Amino acid sequence: MTLSRRGFMRLSLGSAAFAATPKLLGQGVATHTVKPVARPAPSGRPFYARFVDVASSAGLQAPVIYGGIESKKYILEATGCGCAFIDYDNDGWMDLFLLSGTRLTGDPPGATNRLYKNNRDGTFTDITEKAGLKDVGWASGVCIGDYNNDGLEDIFCTYFGRNRLYRNNGDGTFTDVSKAAGLWSDQVRWGAGCSFLDYDRDGHLDLFVSNYVRFSFEHAPVPGENVNCNWKGVPVECGPRGLPTGKHSLYHNNGDGTFTDVSQKAGIAGATGSYGMTVVAADLDEDGWTDIFVACDSTPSLLFMNNHDGTFREEGVLRGVALSDDGMEQAGMGVGVGDYDLDGHLDLFKTHFAEDANGLYRNDGKGNFDDVTRSSRLAVDTRYICWGAGIVDLDNDGYPDLFMVTGSVYPEVERKLPQYANKTPRAVFRNLGNRTFEELGEEAGPGVAEAHCSRGCAFGDFDNDGDIDILIVNLNEPPSLLRNDIKHKQNWIKVKLEGVKSNRSAIGARVLALYGGKVQAQAVLSQSSFYSCNDSRLHFGLGDSSAVDIEVYWPNGLREHFKNLAANRLITLREGLGISPNKGWERT
Amino acid sequence: MGVKCDDVRITSLSVVIVFCAFAFAQMNPSGIEPVASALRAGKFDEALQHLQAELEQHPKSPQLWALRGIALSGKGNKKEALASFRHALTISPDYLPALEGAAQIEYDSGGTGAALFLGRILKVHPADPTSHAMLAVLDYRRGDCAAAVPHFEQGGAVVDSQPDAMQAYGDCLMKLKETKKAIAIFTRALAQPTADMQARYRLASAQLAAQSPKDAIATLQPLLQQDTAGSDVLALAASAYEADGNTPEAVRVLRQAILSDPHNVNLYVDFANISLDHQSFQVGVDMINAGLVAEPKAAALYVARGVLYVQLAEYDKAEADFEEADALNPKQSVGSAAEGLAAVQQNDPERALSTVRAKLAKKPNDAFLLYLQAQILSQRGVDPGTAEFQQAMASAKKAVTLRPTLAPARDVLAKLYLQAGENEAAAEQSRKAFNSDPKDQTAIYHLIQALRKSGRTEGIPDLLKQLANLRIEGTKEEAERNRYKLVEEKSPAMEKPQP
Repeated sequence: MTLSRRGFMRLSLGSAAFAATPKLLGQGVATHTVKPVARPAPSGRPFYARFVDVASSAGLQAPVIYGGIESKKYILEATGCGCAFIDYDNDGWMDLFLLSGTRLTGDPPGATNRLYKNNRDGTFTDITEKAGLKDVGWASGVCIGDYNNDGLEDIFCTYFGRNRLYRNNGDGTFTDVSKAAGLWSDQVRWGAGCSFLDYDRDGHLDLFVSNYVRFSFEHAPVPGENVNCNWKGVPVECGPRGLPTGKHSLYHNNGDGTFTDVSQKAGIAGATGSYGMTVVAADLDEDGWTDIFVACDSTPSLLFMNNHDGTFREEGVLRGVALSDDGMEQAGMGVGVGDYDLDGHLDLFKTHFAEDANGLYRNDGKGNFDDVTRSSRLAVDTRYICWGAGIVDLDNDGYPDLFMVTGSVYPEVERKLPQYANKTPRAVFRNLGNRTFEELGEEAGPGVAEAHCSRGCAFGDFDNDGDIDILIVNLNEPPSLLRNDIKHKQNWIKVKLEGVKSNRSAIGARVLALYGGKVQAQAVLSQSSFYSCNDSRLHFGLGDSSAVDIEVYWPNGLREHFKNLAANRLITLREGLGISPNKGWERT
Repeated sequence: MGVKCDDVRITSLSVVIVFCAFAFAQMNPSGIEPVASALRAGKFDEALQHLQAELEQHPKSPQLWALRGIALSGKGNKKEALASFRHALTISPDYLPALEGAAQIEYDSGGTGAALFLGRILKVHPADPTSHAMLAVLDYRRGDCAAAVPHFEQGGAVVDSQPDAMQAYGDCLMKLKETKKAIAIFTRALAQPTADMQARYRLASAQLAAQSPKDAIATLQPLLQQDTAGSDVLALAASAYEADGNTPEAVRVLRQAILSDPHNVNLYVDFANISLDHQSFQVGVDMINAGLVAEPKAAALYVARGVLYVQLAEYDKAEADFEEADALNPKQSVGSAAEGLAAVQQNDPERALSTVRAKLAKKPNDAFLLYLQAQILSQRGVDPGTAEFQQAMASAKKAVTLRPTLAPARDVLAKLYLQAGENEAAAEQSRKAFNSDPKDQTAIYHLIQALRKSGRTEGIPDLLKQLANLRIEGTKEEAERNRYKLVEEKSPAMEKPQP
């Protein structure tokens, strides 16, 4: 008796690479799998950016404590946290803020979030305690923004527990104003990604917080307990599948230092059913109003489109950015935002789990996205679990590249299956200029090739030398600070925006740089990558172009055009007032 | 199962005799009575003698010619009987008894004229249930269930009285995916005094197809309680238990089926499917091994075991099994396709492509291989306008032409059309894929994207809801499947089927 085709299809396609429906294969994460495609021949083009980890010499020696080292009992220990570049003292030099977790067995010494002040000489000083930012708990994400428009960047941190709003006092200290601001939760929740944004264009930064999982130690299953607690046959921490999804929140800034929860009213609360992670708030359909994208793990990602009336409509699936190109769920963690194809629209790059390719979604300018992962040749490598990421021009050639950090969530798996290492290298995909990328290895420097179990990463210029450096969270290790040493100098420009009618931080502003026949879009973001916040100065590599036109779309609707700006400098633009003096740009 | 409708003929014949006797009696009671009497008594020669005399006096009487046809038919002289009926119809084209007689003869002999005669009867007597029943059966035999069902409906009591006709009716409704109606028919069939085991089996099959496994199980209970339940019944019960989330009972019953019918290859394949669904691959392999002892040349078992080996990452063994399947049954080529799939599972899409291409060189019209080629090329990220893109497109188109219900091939084709900006074509393919497989989330997703891109947004909200519901259902089903894992008891008393 022959096996009917229907029988064979059911038998073989259920678990095969081409399964029309995802197969859990007895584990807790979505298993949309993509087999890596063959690498094209190397382009042979030199890559002039070279990254070296200078964290230790810079004074960043305290480890980021986060859960068990050899094994993790709960998913809480595995998701990790983010970091930020923040100029807290407005001296024009980027300081560093790194979140931290703790351990199930109790808070180990040194477990705390940390603020490092930039000494302007390549080193940093830990001023956490002095700044009043010492705090130990299961911190997740950080977003930066001047919520009270006093000219000082404030910090919001999400936690498993209760989120915190730290107001910058302007004297080197911060005050926890969570309760006073109305952001203190009565219940324990798992805050994940966050972003300041001005969704109603009233000039005040509102706040969106995603939630990952509704988790409690009392009810959480343990490794091996059910099929969501196994990976490749090894008992591991459970989830997120099988755990209840979190609820996301939108808080309206009342303009008086307080916030009001408008989640229900704004149409956010209705979006249940997704494990929310990194949040990006940007005007993705270029209608002048900020939208919200939430990368979600093992569930459809969310795209809240602004209705201009204080409400949002969720259209992630419709706009092609919630699922894979076959309509399957993926493990979405980090989000890079940039313009990889230089068409003037903000594209998204979402990081995924191992054995799935990270997703590159090309924006048509109206907030509709096409999954161009395969055609852009990003699917050549699916070995690692990827987290923080950015669409950033690493070598200043005028074409934004892709950078991502990696790291396992199951340290115990490595002992049984060595091919799934806990610590894995970073990845750089350089932009070839024809909408495709080429993966680089050692060419990008030792800082990229080193293996760590990383999570958040932030992009910024800590040494103000006109290129992009990278701060990286490594779980249970000191962070990495990848200093970019570009060998062949090319032109660049940095744009710092200050809102006047718009929120002071200019979060939500969209900037176009026109140079050498190209146009590149970037946005001022409060969070991107994984749970992290980049240097608020938008960095544009210009290649050979020595001048650039800059168009600014301010959050409150004003549009300004600055022509023929000389390259290789920072320009500060004040809304409606033109170019302003920089704050402390020159190196000492 | 074929439907025999001989009983329909007898009923029809009786009606004709009564009708003719009544009709002609109205005209010439003294002349027709001896004929009718002889016919009722089955004395066909005597009837013919009477008729000969009457026909000499009334040669243009359609009634007499019709009665002659009946007598000849009774004698078994179908050819002349048909000629008589036809002659009656040349005199009176709408003469019902002649139409009925001719229709019956053509129906019984499989002649092409039956449908025509029955159609003419229905013009005269549109509600005639017998004609409808016979037309229904003719349509069913031709495979035209869409035409058969309306006739079955109007066949009324005639259909109800014929178990085989009821089964055919139900089968047609199943083919047309009108499962609920099929269940109603099978339920009626089961309620008949003449209902047999097949009637119960069919009803249970329909209930299972309608995703009512509990009903299916209840229907099968009287059969399962008998020691003589056949392996097909046990296999159906296993499917129902599994669909009901009762995997332990499904496995128990399936094992019982295997023990009772150890040479039934399908049973081992069913077991392999359950093992696959519950991530219990080695258990599945072991059962297939037992099957191969009983049926060492069953290609299907090699394919099934190969698929399980792929899941265990034992790719060499998988490849060997697929090759063996191909050698045993070169015509079906499932082994070839599975080999291509296995190569993909090994993170080697280039090898997968070359494997599939090699197989296609020998079997260029294999729909599944063509689909695989299209899918692999698509996964590589081929750009519209390139030769590889054209090849992917051509492969997918050919696959769906050869196998229109191959939903995954339509999914690939839809994706390629989307990439090429041919949104209408993408929408068409997605709709067809979804019609073939109502659980195809990829098809719905592609359809949503195609409609959005073409600006036809009116149907999108419903599609989004459908997709969300399918996702929820799929998650629940996965959770159900993952409740159980099959493990082997290493007991010396463990029974294994004997060859």
